[in-house]
Amino acid sequence: MPTLLIVAAVVALILILMYNSLVSKKNQVENIFAGVDTVLKKRYDLIPNLVASVSKYMEHEKSLLQEITKLRADANKPNLSDAQKIALDAKVSSALGSIMVAVENYPQLKANENVMHLQHSLNETEEQISAARRAYNQAVTDYNNAIEMIPTNFMASAMNYTRKEVFEIHETQRNNINVKELFS
Amino acid sequence: MKSASELTDFYYKNLYPVLKKLEKDREHLRYRILLIGSLYTLFVAVICFIFLNDLLQNLNFILFVGFAYIGIGAIIYKFLIKDYTQEFKDKIIQPLIHAIDEKLHYSSNEYIPQFLFEKSELFTSRPDRMSGNDYVKGEMDGTKIEFSDVHAQKRHKDSKGRESWSTIFKGIFIVAEFNKNFDAKTIVLPDSAQNTFGDLIGHWLQSKNGAREELVKMDNSAFEKEFVVYSSDQIEARYILSHSLMQRLLEFKKKSEHPVYVSFIGDAIHIAIYYDKDLFEPSVFRSLLEYKIAMEYVKTLHLALGIVEELKLNRKIWSKK
Repeated sequence: MPTLLIVAAVVALILILMYNSLVSKKNQVENIFAGVDTVLKKRYDLIPNLVASVSKYMEHEKSLLQEITKLRADANKPNLSDAQKIALDAKVSSALGSIMVAVENYPQLKANENVMHLQHSLNETEEQISAARRAYNQAVTDYNNAIEMIPTNFMASAMNYTRKEVFEIHETQRNNINVKELFS
Repeated sequence: MKSASELTDFYYKNLYPVLKKLEKDREHLRYRILLIGSLYTLFVAVICFIFLNDLLQNLNFILFVGFAYIGIGAIIYKFLIKDYTQEFKDKIIQPLIHAIDEKLHYSSNEYIPQFLFEKSELFTSRPDRMSGNDYVKGEMDGTKIEFSDVHAQKRHKDSKGRESWSTIFKGIFIVAEFNKNFDAKTIVLPDSAQNTFGDLIGHWLQSKNGAREELVKMDNSAFEKEFVVYSSDQIEARYILSHSLMQRLLEFKKKSEHPVYVSFIGDAIHIAIYYDKDLFEPSVFRSLLEYKIAMEYVKTLHLALGIVEELKLNRKIWSKK
């Protein structure tokens, strides 16, 4: 009888540990997504100012500016899912990238202190966002591993936990590939 | 900044007259050390011979004599090389540092303040005794930097109340201004667990380190192999350790050929390179003109002052002015 009790206690303990580890992994993902959200919002807040500063000069890129304004409006809608936010972020990143390339063609803009300051701020937020994405991806990878690996996968399916998506990191952001290494 | 080979040229060309004179001093000194050392050893041997019976009966006494012989010997040695060391530092090390940048301040007796060492949080035990020398302070490319030789020790007491000292850190300690704003604490340490136990168990062991903040798993496998990262903020740790900085730290580690500890706290980057010896000391038993000896001075200096360029700390493209 005591042996049975000990076995039951050990099994219960293992179950509790598995449950807790899954919950903490899920919470870690949510926590870090909150951080991602904060930096994304910081970037969205810079967009109106940027559009206002460059629109006077940028005649040919009107559609681009409209697009980014629309994307910002979409991002401000309530009740967006994490996946939708991730998708919007990718679009905003590429649109902002195109605007920044276009700025290079306008000497008046490059001489404008306000635009340069905005560019600095955008660079910085861009780095923060990239860091947040990497942190999020790591948390999601840990979570996904846990819900797919034995033995936690049984517990995860009982708890209705499903795989989460990671941010795709664009190849252009991994710009520190060492050419020497490629050939060695 | 001058390259290491330019500095080597400077060492052999501009410092040659001084080196030649120091070489002569060194040969005299070596002769004196060998002479005094032999006399001293002879003297101790004679004393031991007189008290031979007592010595053989008491093990503690043998130990005592042994320690006294080494301890007094070290004091005599230090006393003998004192002038030579000072001259070497004034006439060789200082000009070498000024060849890199004239405005750098150099003091052969001072060292990094203890509060900066403690602030870095690189080592969890608080030093009870700190010493050091060869303190350099100034700006490289508009970035503030200071470093020195440091020896931090901890006191232990056994049940009988006997004191002993263990080394926490011995090597070069560098503090420089960092070019990004951040609030969290991020610490990068040499990775031993992952190398010994593999990724899975290694990670698990590292995450259970109670003295440290949260474990941060980095997305650069080469970096993960060499280092383990702890931080109070998962996102900020990655903001500081961008892909390019991880790559540069790896290269720095390779170049230094010694264990490297890095922390980002306050607005500074702290780097500790564990050499386990006092650097920038004159060689007594080998020629100062030997290429290997010269390269050690040049390389260590170049490594310490080169971090600004190497880690691109002077690149101020962010809003931090």
